[in-house]
Amino acid sequence: MIFNTWDYYLLFLLPAALSFRISRPSVRPWIVVSTGCLFFVYFSYTQIGGAIGAACLAIFLWEAFISRFYKPASLFCWLGVTQTILFLVVFKYRNFLSGVIWHSPGRNPLYWRIAFLPLGISFFTFEFLHYAWDRYRDRTETGTVGEYMAFILFFPTMVAGPIKRYQDFLPKLRTISSDWALDWQRGTTRILAGLAKKFAIADVLTAYTAHLNMQDIAVAGRAVLPLWLLAYGVKIYTDFSAYSDIAIGSARLFGIAVPENFDWPYFQTNITDFWRHWHISLSSWLFDYVFIPLGGSRISVPRTYANLLVTMFISGLWHGAGFNFIVWGVLHGLMLAVHRWWRLRPGYVPSLHGYARALSWLLTFACVNLAWAFFCMDTRTALYFFRRLLLG
Amino acid sequence: MSRLSRLQHALEYLGGARDVPPAGFPFPLSNWVFWGLWWAALAAVVFVFSGQGSKFIYIDF
Repeated sequence: MIFNTWDYYLLFLLPAALSFRISRPSVRPWIVVSTGCLFFVYFSYTQIGGAIGAACLAIFLWEAFISRFYKPASLFCWLGVTQTILFLVVFKYRNFLSGVIWHSPGRNPLYWRIAFLPLGISFFTFEFLHYAWDRYRDRTETGTVGEYMAFILFFPTMVAGPIKRYQDFLPKLRTISSDWALDWQRGTTRILAGLAKKFAIADVLTAYTAHLNMQDIAVAGRAVLPLWLLAYGVKIYTDFSAYSDIAIGSARLFGIAVPENFDWPYFQTNITDFWRHWHISLSSWLFDYVFIPLGGSRISVPRTYANLLVTMFISGLWHGAGFNFIVWGVLHGLMLAVHRWWRLRPGYVPSLHGYARALSWLLTFACVNLAWAFFCMDTRTALYFFRRLLLG
Repeated sequence: MSRLSRLQHALEYLGGARDVPPAGFPFPLSNWVFWGLWWAALAAVVFVFSGQGSKFIYIDF
């Protein structure tokens, strides 16, 4: 969807990147803004929510309009934070949260039958919140209206990141890379590699991951269950890193470098390093805008563990409106807390070699992959999966 | 640089994530014949495996 359609490349990426590069610097932000609006409307209308989905552009334009009033220590920043979270809750969590009170959709007065998610709303949320917080703390300049709108509406990263930072994006927008040949060679290679990864690995693994449901788990042999889960672990990595490759490659055609999202996460030998290398733009966002404001690790040890749990709880909830995502997030929070406790023990050896390193890698890989069960199945199915896996 | 690091570096270079090849890598960016063949190979993989119609997992988030 979107990145694996001809429309994306022929109607949007190539014309936008070409016109962006040959234009005067003062015009470039407006090319990004206009093509970003067209991109949102076109793919919302054709793929998500129809005309109502396309009209949701007005919400993000409104949020961007309000953002222009942000000043250091201003109440407008809090207004922006509140409305950004409110829009996300209404679209993403309304049925889930009201379903906690009214279990049956038929009896739920707040149930939204035609619920849909506006294109990229979860990622817009991160960028709006980051800008509001950094303006409040006076950590970023405002730039021009065109520059700010270009930051919000830059379509290669609009739908699923990588999550940008305004301070990082602004200088790259103002002074784009001048080496056309290098950018287009590397950008095209990255896009092709991403597409190959998506089609030849992630999509092929769907044949195995599709079995992760109650009926198939009930009749499957025990030995095959971990293989299906392992297939999901490989699939989600190749799928999302392929997506990030295409987004980063597309941005490169504009002459703009956006943040990396993955750096060999499955090769890491502990859970903390795993999160430093998996969905990097998200984990660094959560670190800077949730973990640190909560007090980070400069407070008492128990509070630090609590902060890790809260941060990963929010990460889980952000990933999806379901209890299974919350369980997945809390599990990772627990693993991070246990790893932190382990590191603080007297006699802890930071660098491992040989068998110890291999064992550490295996433990990390196994924990991460077992936790995916709560990411790809609802809680009941995931628990049944583990019951069958452990007890037969 | 360990053998594994060199392999990682080479794969990142072939995947477009790095601009500079690992030391001793035989195909610089200026070798258009190699890159033409590499792009054709990637495009062939995409062509052969396309049409399965699955969407990206993170689109719905």
